[in-house]
Amino acid sequence: MLNKCYGKAAIIMLACLLVLVGCLSLTIGQIDVPFQSAAAVLMQQLGLPFLQDVSLSKEQLAVIWYIRLPRMLVGMLVGGALGISGAVMQGIFSNPLADPGLIGISAGAATGAVVAIALGEAASGMLAMPAFALCGSILAVCLTVFLAMRNGKIPVMTLLLAGVAVGMLLGAITSGILTFMNEQKLAQYLFWMVGGLDYRRWEHVYLAAGPVLVGIFIMLLLARHLNILVLGETEAKAVGMPVLKFRMGLLFVAALTTATSVCVSGNIGFVGLVIPHMMRMLLGPDHRILLPASALGGALFLVFCDCLGRTIIAPAEVRVGIMTAILGSPYFLYLLRRMHKSVF
Amino acid sequence: MAQAVIQVAQLKIGYGERCVLKDASFSIGAGEIVGIIGCNGAGKSTLLKTIRGLLPKQGGSVSYFGKPLEAYADKELATKIAYLQQHVEVGFGYTGKDIVMAGRYPYMKWWERESEEDERLALACMEYTGTADLAERPVTEVSGGQKQRILIAKVLAQQTPIIFLDEPTTGLDMVYQEEIFRFAKALAAQGKTVLMVVHELNLASKYCSRILLLGEGTLLADGAPLEVFTEELLSRAYKADICVERDEVNHNLHITTRMSEEAQSREAALLKRICS
Repeated sequence: MLNKCYGKAAIIMLACLLVLVGCLSLTIGQIDVPFQSAAAVLMQQLGLPFLQDVSLSKEQLAVIWYIRLPRMLVGMLVGGALGISGAVMQGIFSNPLADPGLIGISAGAATGAVVAIALGEAASGMLAMPAFALCGSILAVCLTVFLAMRNGKIPVMTLLLAGVAVGMLLGAITSGILTFMNEQKLAQYLFWMVGGLDYRRWEHVYLAAGPVLVGIFIMLLLARHLNILVLGETEAKAVGMPVLKFRMGLLFVAALTTATSVCVSGNIGFVGLVIPHMMRMLLGPDHRILLPASALGGALFLVFCDCLGRTIIAPAEVRVGIMTAILGSPYFLYLLRRMHKSVF
Repeated sequence: MAQAVIQVAQLKIGYGERCVLKDASFSIGAGEIVGIIGCNGAGKSTLLKTIRGLLPKQGGSVSYFGKPLEAYADKELATKIAYLQQHVEVGFGYTGKDIVMAGRYPYMKWWERESEEDERLALACMEYTGTADLAERPVTEVSGGQKQRILIAKVLAQQTPIIFLDEPTTGLDMVYQEEIFRFAKALAAQGKTVLMVVHELNLASKYCSRILLLGEGTLLADGAPLEVFTEELLSRAYKADICVERDEVNHNLHITTRMSEEAQSREAALLKRICS
């Protein structure tokens, strides 16, 4: 009972922190916009009857509404998607080191993106590259699952190994295509590879919002079943769970959610791995608490890293994919060191 | 005779192409404690898993309460049979109560949460198996015996008329071993049917009401412990010379292996070479 209240309180606290970091993200940057003006932009644009009398410069309006707000929203969506998908993957595989990238999602997305660039499709519209990347990652996941499937079962170790193999194969294809590209296209690819939130527009928000929010909703709905799935295949079957159905369903939803987020922001490492672990250590293994906490924590971490990346060497910017890795890898190494402890 | 709880006919089991056991037919009624015994690799656990529907069978039929295994939905079957597997690895710091609550899964619709009634029942099961104080402790931190008792509480929380236990006493000290058999006996007295894979023949002879002896690729014998535990049958099943002594005072059986003189002298010669 105590745990439940503690968990709920922690989730409310995370939500409050997320709002706080969101405000921070709107107000900091090269152009100084006071908090009141930022809030006024939101109110006026959304047509809410508050702060209508605050006068705003054109510049302030443009910065908040067209640059910082979509950037922040994409950050929240991507962070939330990566956090919760990571927690779900670790649960599906009963493996604390499982990560959305492990079953070929990132490699597939990269191959899709590089194909889009090579074909010149990337220049034809803002959404061409995300669309190619999404197709690539879904194909990669399907290939991985197909390779690992044996008599209607997916052995975890085989799946992870198949994921590594598919990742390597796609990596080779990506590198192969890259060697034939000119410098301008190479730069375009590199820019996409290092995940970032800069130049994210409302189009990106619209693209990501649907799949990510629906995915998060479905995963939250199935959280209790994940608690059973984690006990292992036989144990779950013994209490009457159709294991394959749930595993495939959750895997598909987590993969699609991750793939969508990779498409709009490029590869952002460590959120899907580190955040679920951190939340598990703080709040325990119950997925009904862990999943919402991982979604909120992921969003919080990503937007925070983005704020940090924007200010740390201003006016230049450290891209958020680099920031998460810089902050995430030491923590991950620390986790590895204490792996023999009871958490695993 | 009352309707059979478990009815198995002409069952053939194995992995892939390989057949482990065939022509197994038996029927078990309510309130029986049936021990499955046999040497390593005789197919004891495979038999249990197959009739639970966790492994595909190669032939024959299995039915519960007159209804074929295949006709049961996953959850419905889980309200009939609880299954304790041999090795349960629980990671991620799940607590004893989390494990026991899993036993309530088959009773919930997919969108439902555990009710307070479920929670009370889970705690009662833990209290019965003496693990109530471990409810909030991660399972990774408890001893083997404590973990096994938590898992038995989970099996109880499933509230099934049939209970399958796959080597429930492996790795436990003798106090815990006997305790598990006592639990089984108390449950059978309540009308539950217990089917368990056993290695400890002495305990099996004391607690089981019936023994299924597997050997020579089939069901070698089926009957009361005194009928099955004969030197001839056991020696055939275990492919070794086995000696059965009956304790005249309290009618317990003492089962030991005997070595042929030839083997003894060969071993002595080898030992001499190793230790010299």
